[in-house]
Amino acid sequence: MFNSFRLSMTWLHTWFGLVLGFVLMVVFFFGSLSVFDREIDRWALPETRFEPQTMPSFDARLRPIFEQIVPEEEELAAARERVGGPLLETLPLMNWNAYTTHRDPVLSLTAEFAVKNNPDDPYDHVHGHVTIDPRTGRILPHDDLNLGSDFFYPMHYSLHLHWLDLGYWLVGLAALTMLAALVSGVVMHRKIFRELFTFRPAKSTQRSLLDLHNLTGVVALPFSFMFPLTGLIIFAGIYLPVSETMLEPAAMAYQQAEAEKNGLPFQPAGTAAPLSSVDAMVAEAKRRWAARDMPGEVGFLAIQHVGDVNSYVSIYRAGSDRVALVGQGVHFAAPTGRVLYEEPPPPVVFGINEFLTGLHLQHFEHWLLRWLYVAGGFAGCVCIATGLIFFVGKRRVRHATQGIAGARWVDALSVTAITGMLVATLAMLVANRLLPAQLDHRGTWQEGVFWSAWLLALLHAAGRSGPVQQGRIAPAWREQCWAIVVLALAAVLSNWLTTGDHLLKTIRAGYWPVAGFDLTLASSAALAGLTALHLRRREHRHAPSAALDDEVASDAGAPEVAHG
Amino acid sequence: MNSLTLQRAQIVSRIAASLLGGYAFAWGFTTLGIVLGLGLGMPYGEAQTLLFLLAFLVFLVSFCWAFAAKSSARVWAVLAGGGAAMTGVAWLLSRVLAS
Repeated sequence: MFNSFRLSMTWLHTWFGLVLGFVLMVVFFFGSLSVFDREIDRWALPETRFEPQTMPSFDARLRPIFEQIVPEEEELAAARERVGGPLLETLPLMNWNAYTTHRDPVLSLTAEFAVKNNPDDPYDHVHGHVTIDPRTGRILPHDDLNLGSDFFYPMHYSLHLHWLDLGYWLVGLAALTMLAALVSGVVMHRKIFRELFTFRPAKSTQRSLLDLHNLTGVVALPFSFMFPLTGLIIFAGIYLPVSETMLEPAAMAYQQAEAEKNGLPFQPAGTAAPLSSVDAMVAEAKRRWAARDMPGEVGFLAIQHVGDVNSYVSIYRAGSDRVALVGQGVHFAAPTGRVLYEEPPPPVVFGINEFLTGLHLQHFEHWLLRWLYVAGGFAGCVCIATGLIFFVGKRRVRHATQGIAGARWVDALSVTAITGMLVATLAMLVANRLLPAQLDHRGTWQEGVFWSAWLLALLHAAGRSGPVQQGRIAPAWREQCWAIVVLALAAVLSNWLTTGDHLLKTIRAGYWPVAGFDLTLASSAALAGLTALHLRRREHRHAPSAALDDEVASDAGAPEVAHG
Repeated sequence: MNSLTLQRAQIVSRIAASLLGGYAFAWGFTTLGIVLGLGLGMPYGEAQTLLFLLAFLVFLVSFCWAFAAKSSARVWAVLAGGGAAMTGVAWLLSRVLAS
């Protein structure tokens, strides 16, 4: 089909990069934001702006709160649908768990309750959930949306498209495309090393765009390769569900054998038993970690079969000082506090897997590295965005002379996926600060603002991309850049007005979750403003007659790369 | 059929082979690899994790090769045929191991 290996890779790079570039843009951008998801939560929930806390006393503080947790109304409604009728009077409690990291001031507690009367699924269950201030035990309002960890982060891996898990599969396909785009990109450009040092901003637009595309692609290559790959590995169980289908008998046999070997009861016995001191178990787990020369804090605490004689408590160490996530679990018999099983160091394969997933999920405590992750993510965004813009630039004049609308619609979609995505995100931040505090379903309203703003950006991009059909730059880019300026400044300002936490105050106090995010917003506004001014100059230069000459010159300047 | 529609059909066939064939090949590779690992005495959890680490690299190579290869028929034969064959062998071996 293709005359050479290079041409086949060029085709793959151009067309898969185009179709999935829009999804990749979303995945890379929200992935970059997710590096600081907990800090964005602080910005969005002013009452949680205090220092991170370690896991508080279970016996004194957590247990009374766990005992109050009831199943979520929405989950109960969904369970009634699944059962096809009313549920049992009380749902038996299955387990409790609490999870925290070195970046969490608040603590989230979860309980699971069994839905016994579902004939289709004997393991059916529903959740109950509260977030508390661990210093006082106060339960925080239930309706709040953790903007960073509950909206931006899931956007990164699921696009919030839950129907048939479509979002996961689209993101997976985009990840595969990213890997293939990097491989094919390296094949297309043979002078890889030279491109590491090549950026000619003063040359024609197309030449500078391609330089920037290559530069960001090559500089961030190990990063941009590692992330899609480890992302696929993290969700391997979804993409390749071998253990739930073809190899289910072997997988189940393994799980049961493991449980028996470790002495952790798989099922409750049905006999009630009290829970002994969990604080004593925590102290013992910490003593054992210290004895293994890895003292640490509790990251994850779970109690299975609560209240049963078979109940056991699992205590995992927070992975703040290493790449791998929580681990080194110590398991205790809940009624006696006796150690049932201490997990040994993982076998080599698990160690490699934990390292790779840890690299992606980054629970470690290292702020410079965290910022490098953001820089790598934004480099990926620039690489994807310049690829999309180059695609249009390459075809704008040709399509204009041939009367084809292709370049125009790709341009409109690119505007939506690049500046439109920023507009939607910033509009959501402004809504977060300005919607009335007592509003019911405030989180849902914020999500509504996000999607409506993005839809408006699409309509605006479609309406204001007409000049592309005359071979010119769409004014939609410049206008949405101005929208970014206004919204980013409005976000900083509304944070100040509604909480009193202006930049001078947060910087002086050294409260970086909010100061850092405000500074990022202000810099984004500045960058978007400069871009808008630059675009205005370009639009003047790209008056109809000049446009053709410039494009011809740029094609002549880039003869070694044969894009599509 | 003129040459343009022929080329369109070719491209559709390659895209389908790269995604569906590549997936079938990755699935066959993963299941066969896990079962072979079990046969060599590896615990299931480790065998599965090892193959998950490798599966997407295999998918990536299959995906790129689907466009680079000269013959479309060979792409389908290797990716879909090979994937089905590996899956079949894995299924048979898993029954043997279970018995």
